[in-house]
Amino acid sequence: MKLYEWMVKPTAQKEWIDKRGILFWIAFFSIELGAGAFFAASFVGSLPAMLIGWLVCAVIGGSAHLLYLGHPLRFWRMLLKPGTSWISRGLIFIGFFLLLGLIYMALAFFTGTSPTALLVIVDIFAFLVIIYGGFAMNYVNGIPLWNTALLPILFVVSGIWGGAGVGLGVALATQSSATEMVLEEWIRILMIAYIILFVVYLVSVRYNNVISKFSVYEIVAGKYWFLMWFVVVVLGLAFPLAMSITSYVIGLEHMAVGLLYLSILLELIGDMTTRYLVLKNGYYAPLIQSLGFAAS
Amino acid sequence: MRWGMVIDRKRCIGCYACMISCKQAHALPPEVFWNRVLISETGTYPTVTKQILPVLCNHCKEAACVKVCPTGATTKREDGIVYVDANLCVGCRYCGIACPYQMRTYHADKRKEYWPGQGLTELEKVGREVLYPLQPHTAIKCNFCMERVDEGIRKGVKPGIDRDASPTCVNACPVKARTFGNLDDPNSNVSKLIKERKGYQLHPEFGTEPSVYYLD
Repeated sequence: MKLYEWMVKPTAQKEWIDKRGILFWIAFFSIELGAGAFFAASFVGSLPAMLIGWLVCAVIGGSAHLLYLGHPLRFWRMLLKPGTSWISRGLIFIGFFLLLGLIYMALAFFTGTSPTALLVIVDIFAFLVIIYGGFAMNYVNGIPLWNTALLPILFVVSGIWGGAGVGLGVALATQSSATEMVLEEWIRILMIAYIILFVVYLVSVRYNNVISKFSVYEIVAGKYWFLMWFVVVVLGLAFPLAMSITSYVIGLEHMAVGLLYLSILLELIGDMTTRYLVLKNGYYAPLIQSLGFAAS
Repeated sequence: MRWGMVIDRKRCIGCYACMISCKQAHALPPEVFWNRVLISETGTYPTVTKQILPVLCNHCKEAACVKVCPTGATTKREDGIVYVDANLCVGCRYCGIACPYQMRTYHADKRKEYWPGQGLTELEKVGREVLYPLQPHTAIKCNFCMERVDEGIRKGVKPGIDRDASPTCVNACPVKARTFGNLDDPNSNVSKLIKERKGYQLHPEFGTEPSVYYLD
């Protein structure tokens, strides 16, 4: 982008997606996915799926977040301002989720007890971990694509949906048919909710102002149309939806396991791509309002 | 007390003196600008207008960057100057994202030289290591030359009136398009200009209440 375009055209944010920003995208996705997996698995009592979710959140999400920081060793300072900063709140939520989640899993594994009160608290923190990223983005009022109340809700649904997918994958691997049935039911409901929310999000944001209209245009018909229509819609939504309908009609036990794994994988790829598109197309209003681009 | 700046766009000739003096005063590396002069055209032929917009950190009264900073590295002083304490910054870049004016830069590479492949010149070394050392991997931005302002006040001179206590971009402007002063004082030079010539802020709809005003 040439310097003069900066003032008259919408400018995309780059810090959270380009170069090292890729790490932020990975961290953002994996933390929500891991917490979502733990959350979904806790309702069906699947300890292996809870552990996988915890590990995804802690190892992939945590390390990507730390590597993204300019000064990773100072990360503890990020705990200091939960009063106004969503990043600070998020780190506190993650810390409590990981610590209490580990205690719960250790108790369940070594003593065979599963204290419900502790699990409820861990689930509350897991939910907060899933939702905080959406709020961190929603707070940025300079980027109208993000500055909508629908964004945190969308990410919550996608986080739990993806998490339920991970749980189903673990249940398939451990041949736990009762867990499979429940999680498949979750996936079906969350998938439909997600599709409706995603469409409502794009349509409502499209009518916010010309900047958000431009962002949505870039996603749907601009330079990212292929990612949107092929990866997100066809692979990430249509294929898992078709698999879900098929499993509903013929029964989960008659489904090929390979197809179910593929469905979960494609759903996760679609979800990750959606987040990429939302991060990549976060456009700021130009400083001079002209050429049809105005902030409001 | 709230320091602020008024930029007269009718006076500005787009000479980039403010931008260059700022880069020089703070030994800023390539591609890092705390002051920018944006020059563009708006409208369509034949009704085209040349637009010149000098921009810098707005030192907002309700600064989004201060609120989102998770460590408290970005803070607002009592005199309204928003600055970054590099020793507290973790480099999460949330402030850069939250600023609707995109006036922050993530300072990644300390050794990036102006003449690629030839290393830092002696001048660059002195600037970056002695005169104005910037900590790499932190967020950086305009600080209204707060060292000059503070030093000037200590010496008993008046920021915005005396050159020794005024930001370098204000001093460098050959057409006096920039005025610096106390926004809280109704009799200050900046307050009078804003009142008399209907000064406006950039994107007031974001509710950040910038301390930089523009005159048309």
